[in-house]
Amino acid sequence: MFSRRTLLAGTALGAGALGLTACGGGSGSGSGEPLTALKIMAPLLSETAPDPEGQLHKAIEEFVGMPLEITWVPNSSYGDRVTVTMASDNIPHIMVQTGKSAEFVQTATAGGYWDLTDILPEYPNLTPENPDVAHGASINGKTYGVFRLRDAMRASVILRKDWLAKVGLDEPVTTTDLEEIARAFTEEDPAGDGSATYGLILPAWGGYGNNGPYDLWETWHGTANVWKDEGGTLSPAFLAPEFIEANTSMKAIIDAGHTNADYATMDAATWNDPFVKGQGGIIADVSSRGKQLLSLFQEADPEGYGDKVTMVGNLKSPDGTLWSLPTPGYAGYLAIPKSSVQTEEQLATVLGVMDKLSSEEGQRLLNNGIEGVNYEVEDGMSVPIESEEGSLVSSDVSAFAQIGTQSNGYLGLSSKPAGEAEAAMEEKRQATADSDLESAVFNPGAAYVSDAYTQNGAILDQIVVDARLKYLAGQLDEAGLQAELQRWTDSGGQQVIDEMNELYQAGA
Amino acid sequence: MAMTTTPAPDVPVGLDEAPVVPPKPARRKSLMKRLRRAPVLYLMLLPGLAYFAIFKYAPMYGITIAFQNYLPFLGMGGSPWVGFDHFVRLFSGPDFGRLLSNTLILAFLNIVIAFPAPIIVALMLNELRKQMLKKFIQTAIYIPHFLSWAIVSGLTYLLFALDIGPITVLFNDVFGTRVNFLADPDWFRPLIMAQTLWKGTGWGTIIYLAALAGVDKNLYEAANLDGAGRFQQMRHVTIPAITPTVVIMLILNIGNFLDTGFEQIYMLTNSLNREVADVFDTYVYFMGITNGAYSYSTAIGLFKSVVGLILILGANWLAKRFTQSSLF
Repeated sequence: MFSRRTLLAGTALGAGALGLTACGGGSGSGSGEPLTALKIMAPLLSETAPDPEGQLHKAIEEFVGMPLEITWVPNSSYGDRVTVTMASDNIPHIMVQTGKSAEFVQTATAGGYWDLTDILPEYPNLTPENPDVAHGASINGKTYGVFRLRDAMRASVILRKDWLAKVGLDEPVTTTDLEEIARAFTEEDPAGDGSATYGLILPAWGGYGNNGPYDLWETWHGTANVWKDEGGTLSPAFLAPEFIEANTSMKAIIDAGHTNADYATMDAATWNDPFVKGQGGIIADVSSRGKQLLSLFQEADPEGYGDKVTMVGNLKSPDGTLWSLPTPGYAGYLAIPKSSVQTEEQLATVLGVMDKLSSEEGQRLLNNGIEGVNYEVEDGMSVPIESEEGSLVSSDVSAFAQIGTQSNGYLGLSSKPAGEAEAAMEEKRQATADSDLESAVFNPGAAYVSDAYTQNGAILDQIVVDARLKYLAGQLDEAGLQAELQRWTDSGGQQVIDEMNELYQAGA
Repeated sequence: MAMTTTPAPDVPVGLDEAPVVPPKPARRKSLMKRLRRAPVLYLMLLPGLAYFAIFKYAPMYGITIAFQNYLPFLGMGGSPWVGFDHFVRLFSGPDFGRLLSNTLILAFLNIVIAFPAPIIVALMLNELRKQMLKKFIQTAIYIPHFLSWAIVSGLTYLLFALDIGPITVLFNDVFGTRVNFLADPDWFRPLIMAQTLWKGTGWGTIIYLAALAGVDKNLYEAANLDGAGRFQQMRHVTIPAITPTVVIMLILNIGNFLDTGFEQIYMLTNSLNREVADVFDTYVYFMGITNGAYSYSTAIGLFKSVVGLILILGANWLAKRFTQSSLF
């Protein structure tokens, strides 16, 4: 009988395993009890995760009056972990969602996250300062999370200042100026040592309409921002003639050899390298890259680094019109899953904590740290304190900034520029950002997510990205590009257009 | 590895299977009898059975999401059922033809080029007389196997970068061209094959060298006495001796026919060569991870597995029929 029992045990084990997996997708833990600790899941962009016993963590817990259990997940695998976590039974009370991913949109619209549309106005610090950004951040007009505010105007052209002086050209104002600078940087030995150089540095860019260098170039030439509104009807920006015109002028730069040869394959993570090594002299990206490059030059040349980098904002089209490309103005959300936060009382607790963290004091804790420990205030700006304790807190700040929302406006302190070059760059950046914002081309379809796009968006976007690059590389002529864009329409794009217009007209 | 060599069947294929199945009660009785006779031996089987039950069979329950509109937060129990919708979408979708042909071409190249390469190298190594040299070459060609695809891709990018990579520069200087290996769709498959050969050939020889080591030395001696040269010895002694191994390896390879590998292809793909680079494995990643279409990508994976199962059964049947050696 012994053997039969073991056999039975084996069968039971197998069946148990089946049962376990079957339950794995269950609805999660939690009950109606008041929350005693707050579980948060957030992406980690810095090297090390903050110590839960660390000074900053403790200070924040004390400030909100509740213990925090934060799961820091490396940013590179964050999306995968969100999915896995949502399928587990250990769901956090606050989930950082990095954007309108298909997973987030589907889960939110199926009722997986609290709809905060009518609730947020009750919380003064969670009421958005900018209604346009708030509308763009919504999913078809509904708010499923508190968005994380970001600068709306970040587009910049960063150039080698010393090279400009060498070839005797001014900073660019129009795209035509930039074409001339790219030519001069390639042909006129800007480095002065006869080494091979080129103008524009272009990395292999994934995605369409995500503020990449080609998107910038298109907007500067008058292409709409992802969606074009013509008399109340939306159509994809890339189906308009401006799209092809813009890319034809970009193709001319590439064909003339005024860019890096490996523009189709260069890893975007190494974008700074050719600039610092003196191979290429122009990068069209975001303004923070200017500061990054400045500090890279400072390492090599602590004295004269200020003369190496200069930065301008958006460029005017050849006929002198300025169309500038804004960011969405936010970067993801703090969303509240219904399976872990089940009652309205619990929701009020969670939102209460978030509201506190968005107050001036809360924002300073998350974005600056602890005054007197890692920073002090000078002329209304923060200056870091050099100490072991201070650097620990400062390193934690870079992580905790990810759970700040600031949707009520940024109330933290900006940091004081380290040197004269940095101060000058920051001042210029601020001024250009303000003036560029007046000419910003916003995406009229930002708030709307069509089902067809949720299903096929990744594939559809890829068609546009590939077709654009093939056209630039000469693998497709203009008719071929048109045919590929037609393939976008035929592969489900038409359905996206129809659904977007339905949503747009209902919402507008 | 389980390997059976059955004598050539005298009866027509298909008929020889029928009488083998014993009546059920008799079988159960004999199992019980055997269990009683050696309970401890069977007890030792349990961990293995448990392993397969927990880690191989239980997760197969997850296949059900291919027939649902799976949402993680609803779970497998709560997601709506959609029947074969995802399969219909796959087979009627605009990408299916391209994915299938890209996958089949790469799979075919793998069988025709990458599969025989280790056999040829093993045969060549077998003919080396100097043991020292043989051992040295063996060790040297194993090394690439231990590098991850990320490193192999990194090396490829370094060596083949346009205007900088030494191989590209040399090639373009010699032929007076300006070929961009990394972006040209025509060069995508040759590059993939070159990577596969470089990384896998040496490691692949191990199993054939083991088979070669098992060949009876007396046969060579006899062949030598009969006046066979080295080439004839190889043809008439060595190759017949390793044929069963080759057949088994071929069957196993055909079972993985559609597994063109993900990392290798993903890392060599860019906008300019994607039309030839997109295969089922990268598409599953793209749809499942990037686009969050879990059910759809599970359906694709299931389709691939079914094709793999059919191929492995078919190859096994053919092998049994024609070479008398088979996997099961």
